[in-house]
Amino acid sequence: MNPIETDACTYTEYESGDAPDEYPKTGEGATGAEREVWDALYEVEDPEMPVSIVDLGLIYDVSVEGERAEVEMTLTYTGCPARDMLENDVRCAALTASGVTEAEVTISYSPGWNVEMVTDAGREQLREFGLSV
Amino acid sequence: MTDLSGDERRAVEAQLFRLADDEYVIAERYTEWQIYAPTLESDLALANVAQDEFGHARLWYDLLQDDFDYTEEEVLWRRDPGAFTHATLTELAFADDGWGDAVVRGYLYDTAERLRLEALVDSSYAPIADRVGKVLDEEGYHREYAESWLERLASTDAEGRVQAAVERLFPHALTLFAPGPDEDLIRDYGIRTESLADLREEWLDTVVPTLDSLGFTVPDPEDVALPDARGRDGTHTDDWYDLHEAFTSTHRELDFDRPTRLRGEEA
Repeated sequence: MNPIETDACTYTEYESGDAPDEYPKTGEGATGAEREVWDALYEVEDPEMPVSIVDLGLIYDVSVEGERAEVEMTLTYTGCPARDMLENDVRCAALTASGVTEAEVTISYSPGWNVEMVTDAGREQLREFGLSV
Repeated sequence: MTDLSGDERRAVEAQLFRLADDEYVIAERYTEWQIYAPTLESDLALANVAQDEFGHARLWYDLLQDDFDYTEEEVLWRRDPGAFTHATLTELAFADDGWGDAVVRGYLYDTAERLRLEALVDSSYAPIADRVGKVLDEEGYHREYAESWLERLASTDAEGRVQAAVERLFPHALTLFAPGPDEDLIRDYGIRTESLADLREEWLDTVVPTLDSLGFTVPDPEDVALPDARGRDGTHTDDWYDLHEAFTSTHRELDFDRPTRLRGEEA
């Protein structure tokens, strides 16, 4: 028997990791312009899956001071080729909040994202999409 | 922007360039296997590993841009090839029947990569420490992948070619632990919390018994002369200059210095 043909998929173990206590962040309790930013971010979907980036657990922080919004987010993995596109979508979403004229997006990898940071709603949508989570 | 200055800034930059250059250059080499790997599964898997390594390279090059005011052109596309500080292991062209070369190289590299990243978890430079965890999470799969292929090749008639790859690559793998000119600063400022000598010992304690148990013979590290070109000090093999020429060619051909004109404008 040729081992290359028979053992091809048996090697990798997938681990889902743990979600730190305060994650995922969903904007619960946010008010005013920050509430509006969260609502707008709920409308932004991951380019590869029809799930909101908030439900995927990618948004780490939203703050609005005066006319300026700041969003801290992460990516599911460091090599994400949609980074620039997502950053732009998030920036544009933040700019839709009333009174916001300037928005900055920063990418953070701490804590590192893992699938445990997806919300229950996000899991449901991922399952409907055909992913096992 | 960082408020670091002088020697500490030099130390952080040197560590970031070592990290970024290794990842970028090994990813460039991995991509050569796309459509040529021995199975469709391995074709996809190695392409994914390359994508991860490009992602890590981007992470560290980004930090150089965000905190130290470099441009992407300066850290990559228009940088003097003699200023790159990756280990020569990452730059070598593959041997002619090189799948064994790719597997051994990935195994030697990823094992060293984990040790180095673990020595950066408590880096005094917080932006490095903040990013290392995510990278470590992703690297685990690379090692499993390389190890699984090593095991498979050890029990096939490819064994001789894998042994040849071990002998060819081992001296170049040792350059992973060769110091660059700013190594003392990297240690003095706590940018990395372990010495290269300790990392090298830990690496040998892992790779030598593993390769040995699979029936491969590893050269005695005490008898191995490091290659003349060690990468870390900016000296490189001819393979590097060819690779550099290739991966920067599109950037050069795009001719960014000239304004873009629509074709009809000159008609």
